[in-house]
Amino acid sequence: MDLIGQIFSLKVLSQIFVGLSRTTILFTVSSGMSLILGVLRIPNVAHGSLYMIGAFTAYTTSVAFGGGNLGFWMSLIIAPIVVAIISFLAERAFFQFLYEREHLMLLLLTFALSLIFGDFVKMIWGAEYKSVPVPPVFQGYVHLFGGLPFPLYNFFLLIVGPIIAVILWLLVNKTKIGKIAMAAAVDREMVSAVGINVSWIFAVVFVIGCLLAGLGGVLVAPTVSVTLGMDHTIIMEAFLIVIMGGLGNIWGALMGALVFGLAQSLGILIWPQFGIVFPYAAVIVVLLFRPRGLLKSTW
Amino acid sequence: MKKLVLFSFILLFLSLLFFTVSDSYAQKTIKVGIVDTYTGPPSTFTIDVRDGFEMAIKKINEKGGVLGRKIEYTTRDEKFKPDIGLAMAKELVLKEKADILMGTINSATALAVSDFAKKEKIPFFVTFAKSDKIVVDKGHRYVFNMNENTMMAGRAAGYALGKKPYTKYWIAGDDYEYGHSIANNVWENIQKYNPKAVLTGQTWWKVGEADFTPYITQILAAKPDFLIVATGGSGMVNFQKAAKATGLAQKIPFYQHTATEHSVLKPQGLNAPEGVYGTSNYFFYYPDTPANRAFVEEFKKTYKREPRVGALYGYMTAMFIAEGYKKAGSLDKEKFINALEGMALDSPVGKLELRACDHQLVLPIFFGKTKKDPNYDFLIAGDIEVIQGKDYMPTCDEVRKIRTYKR
Repeated sequence: MDLIGQIFSLKVLSQIFVGLSRTTILFTVSSGMSLILGVLRIPNVAHGSLYMIGAFTAYTTSVAFGGGNLGFWMSLIIAPIVVAIISFLAERAFFQFLYEREHLMLLLLTFALSLIFGDFVKMIWGAEYKSVPVPPVFQGYVHLFGGLPFPLYNFFLLIVGPIIAVILWLLVNKTKIGKIAMAAAVDREMVSAVGINVSWIFAVVFVIGCLLAGLGGVLVAPTVSVTLGMDHTIIMEAFLIVIMGGLGNIWGALMGALVFGLAQSLGILIWPQFGIVFPYAAVIVVLLFRPRGLLKSTW
Repeated sequence: MKKLVLFSFILLFLSLLFFTVSDSYAQKTIKVGIVDTYTGPPSTFTIDVRDGFEMAIKKINEKGGVLGRKIEYTTRDEKFKPDIGLAMAKELVLKEKADILMGTINSATALAVSDFAKKEKIPFFVTFAKSDKIVVDKGHRYVFNMNENTMMAGRAAGYALGKKPYTKYWIAGDDYEYGHSIANNVWENIQKYNPKAVLTGQTWWKVGEADFTPYITQILAAKPDFLIVATGGSGMVNFQKAAKATGLAQKIPFYQHTATEHSVLKPQGLNAPEGVYGTSNYFFYYPDTPANRAFVEEFKKTYKREPRVGALYGYMTAMFIAEGYKKAGSLDKEKFINALEGMALDSPVGKLELRACDHQLVLPIFFGKTKKDPNYDFLIAGDIEVIQGKDYMPTCDEVRKIRTYKR
C-alpha cells in the first residue's frame, strides 16, 4: 500500500503531466516527419529546420500583433501556413522529380535544404536570441493537486495534443486523400495504376507533414528561446521517436513521443543527476525488444 | 581569337599588377588573423567581438596606425569545429602571413590554436573561449586571454554568494565542461566564505535542452534555499523562461553566470524574471562613466545596436595590440610580448592590466540582480557589486602551482 502511495504521489503525478505536455510538441513534430517518411519515403532532415522557421515566424507574427494574446493566436495560424508554402515550393521544385531515386539521394537533398534553411534564417532574423512571450491568458501557473506548480501554458499544450491527434486521425481515416495516401504508402504503383494522380497526393501529404513541423515550432516558441540550432535538437529526438514508434506509422510516433516524454520527466524524478539518460535508454530498451518499432512499420 | 588572346593578356597583366600591389601593401600592415565561429548560435557573441575589434582598429588606423603601419584583419569561420579552426589558423599564419592570431569562442579550438601558436611563436589572443585551461593549466608565453574564464566567473560569484545567508544549495546545469566548471568554482568558493553551506542535490541536463519544466518541478519539490544554475548559450534564456512560467523565480533565488547580460535579457523584453543573480564583465549602462558612454555612443553610431560584452573584449584586444607594438618600438614578436606583459590600459570599464604571470586580462566582474527600469523596455542589472580582480582571481602563485601539478 505504501509503495502504491509512493508511486502515485503528487510529485509523480505532476511530473507525468509535465511529461505529457512535452509529448504534445514531440508528437506534433514527429508525426509530420513520420507521415512524410511513410507515404513519400523521404527521410526529411530539413524537418527540424521547418520547425525552426515556424518558431521564428511565430516570433515575427507575435511582434507584429503586439505580442499579446492576439499575436499568439495569429502566429498559430500564420506560421504553419508560411511553413506550408515554403514546403510546397520545395516539393514542387525538387522532391517531385526525385521520388524514384534512392533514399540516400533524398537524404542528401534534405540535408542540403536544412543547411540552406539554417543560413536563410540567420540572414532574415540574425544570430541573436529571440523570445516569444507566453500569451497573457496562459501566463502564470496553478498548483496541481494542491502541491507543485504547473505552468498554465503546459495545460494548454495538454489540450492541444489530443486535438491534433484527433484531426490527424480524421484526416487519415475519414478523407479520400488520406485513404489514397495510406494506399500509396503501401503500394505506390498500384495507386497510380488505377488512375490517381499520385504526384499531387504526395505534394499534399508533404505539405501537411511540414505544416505539423511548423505548428510544433509555434507551440514550443513561448517556452524556449527561439534561436539558431533549435533545429538540431528536435531533429535528433524526432528521428528517435519515429524509429522507436515504427517507421512511417503516425500512431507509432504518438507512442514514441509518449515513451520519450514520460521517460524524460520521470527519469528526472528518479535520478536527477543522470536525467538525460532515461529517454535514450528507453529507446534502446524498446528497440532491443521490438527492433522494428512499437507499431507496424510501413517500410 | 586574337581578341581573346589579347583579352587574356590584359587580364593576366592586371592580375599581376593587383598581386604586386597587394603584396607591397601587405608589407606595410600588421596582419591579424581571426578564427571564430560565425555561423550558428555562437555567432550571437562572436559578431560583437569582431565589430568591437573593427571599431578600434579603424580609429587606430585613422590616426596613422602603429609604427607607420596600418592594422589589417581577416576572419575565418571555424563553424565551432576544432579541427577546422586549427587548419584555418595554420592557413592564416603560413599562407596569409598573419602576425597575430585572435579569436574563437570554442575552448577546444582555442587550446588547439594555442598549441600551434606556441610552436610557431605567434602571439594568440583568446577572445571568448571560457576554459580556464587556456591560460592556467596550459598557459605559455604566446597566449593571452582577453575575457574571463570559468574559474574567474565561478570564483567571483562564489565570493559574492558566500556572504549571503543561504545554507541549502542545489546545483543544476548543462552537462558539459563549461557547466561543471562554473558550478564547481562557484560551489568551492561559497564553501570557503560560508562554512554552513551544504549541497542538497544536483540536476544535470544535456546541452541544448529546450524544456526545463520537468527539471524545475523536481527542484521545487526539493525546496533548496538557493539554486546555482550553470547554463550557457541559449540555455540561459530557456531556463529563465521556464523559471518564470513555473514560478521558480519567485520561490527560490537563483544564480546564473551571465543572467544579467544584455544578450540574455533583451530578447525576453519585460517578461524576463526579476531578481535573478548574475555576473558579467560589461553592461552598456554600467559603469556610468564618460569613457563607457563614449564607447557606447561610438558603437551605436557604427553598428546601430548596443555593445555587449564581446564588443569590450574585441575593442580591448585591438588596443593592447596597438599599444604593445608602440611600446616595443619594433615588429619583433618577442619584444611585443615583453611590452604587453604587465601593461595596463584605459578601457570603458576602467584601467585593465594584462597580467605578466599568466597573460590574463584582469577584469572587474559585476555581480547584480535583474530588475525592471523605466528607461528601458527590457530588464537590466541592478544592485551591482563590483568585484575587483584581486578579490577573486587566482593569484600568480596559485597559477604556478596548478601549472606544476598538472604538467
